[in-house]
Amino acid sequence: MDKVAAIIRDMFEDYDGPVNDALTAEQVPDWDSLAQVKLMVAVESEFGIRFESREINEPANVGELVQMIEKKLAKK
Amino acid sequence: MIPDGYANLSTLLEHQLAVYPEHRRYLEKRFKDASPEHLRLTDELAGNVLRIAGDEVRTICADYKWMVNWTLNEELYFRRNGCYRLSKFADAYAEVYSNIPLMTQYVNGILASQIWWRNHTEVLGYFRDTFVAGNPKGFRHLEVGPGHGLFLQLASASPNCASAEGWDVSPASIAATREALTRMGNRHKIDLVEMDITKPPARQFDSITFSEVLEHLEEPLAALKSLHGLLAPGGRIFVNAPANSPMPDHLYLFRSPEEVVDMMKEAGFDIVDTLFAPPTGASLEQARKQLLSVSAVVIGTRP
Repeated sequence: MDKVAAIIRDMFEDYDGPVNDALTAEQVPDWDSLAQVKLMVAVESEFGIRFESREINEPANVGELVQMIEKKLAKK
Repeated sequence: MIPDGYANLSTLLEHQLAVYPEHRRYLEKRFKDASPEHLRLTDELAGNVLRIAGDEVRTICADYKWMVNWTLNEELYFRRNGCYRLSKFADAYAEVYSNIPLMTQYVNGILASQIWWRNHTEVLGYFRDTFVAGNPKGFRHLEVGPGHGLFLQLASASPNCASAEGWDVSPASIAATREALTRMGNRHKIDLVEMDITKPPARQFDSITFSEVLEHLEEPLAALKSLHGLLAPGGRIFVNAPANSPMPDHLYLFRSPEEVVDMMKEAGFDIVDTLFAPPTGASLEQARKQLLSVSAVVIGTRP
């Protein structure tokens, strides 16, 4: 979670609210569809994993994203 | 989101939000802090988009939504690999240009983006107020790849414009531009000609527009050199090409707006002025850092 939070903080410099499992894109002003792509590629790079195209918009909040990362890391 | 007094823009926005409500937050950002001058320009352009759209305005807005989502896969590829997915014209033809229904949606989406993407609107304003306004009385104008017709409409409307032509390699594109100009109520005589600029005729123009074409070419430098030959000595050319802009038919990657300037110089043009327009919500500095699409506009002249 700490690594994901760091990526989110780095990407959305103007957001100073809490980064927790419940955080959604709607709560972060600059988190649009393009930012979602950038975020997922940054996560891929950080964790050495790869998302399917259909998975890019799958996580509904940060908690679900962390779960997706954990599942992919478990399969490595 | 839009103050009173901008009826065209408000109407188009209403249609857009009806088919793409999840775009509201982006559009709020788009018009936050917009100056009255920018809103006037955008409203005028929105009027032209509405006239082109006619009773298909909802289709145009739906196709814009489709285009935004369609291009996200290209963005994904670009972010992962640091390059555009395609580099050969034959591949772009097979995937995109030969698919007429898809092309119709794509062109409609691009038309709406002239209003919803701040850099696109800014480029049109710069074209009208800096390039066209700076052309001398009696200028002979050419646009290569006139597409949606908005640039050709603005150039031909100048009281200094003596003649205007539009060239394209595609008969379907020529027909679409002709229809758009008619719908915009263009009363000027504009010759729209099927022409390949790699085999240019022995003619010269005082003013040339080449907007969002370079990035679709395998050999953009050769195209610029060809245009250099078509520009009369002392004439002016307006080149607009995006840097870091992954789209399904973009072949040539400019990694910075300066690369467009450098290519213009290499083709033999003297540089008169430039505009580097970052996308909605980003500064030029942020766009450079995050590799966001930047519209690079270069006004050149032939010494």
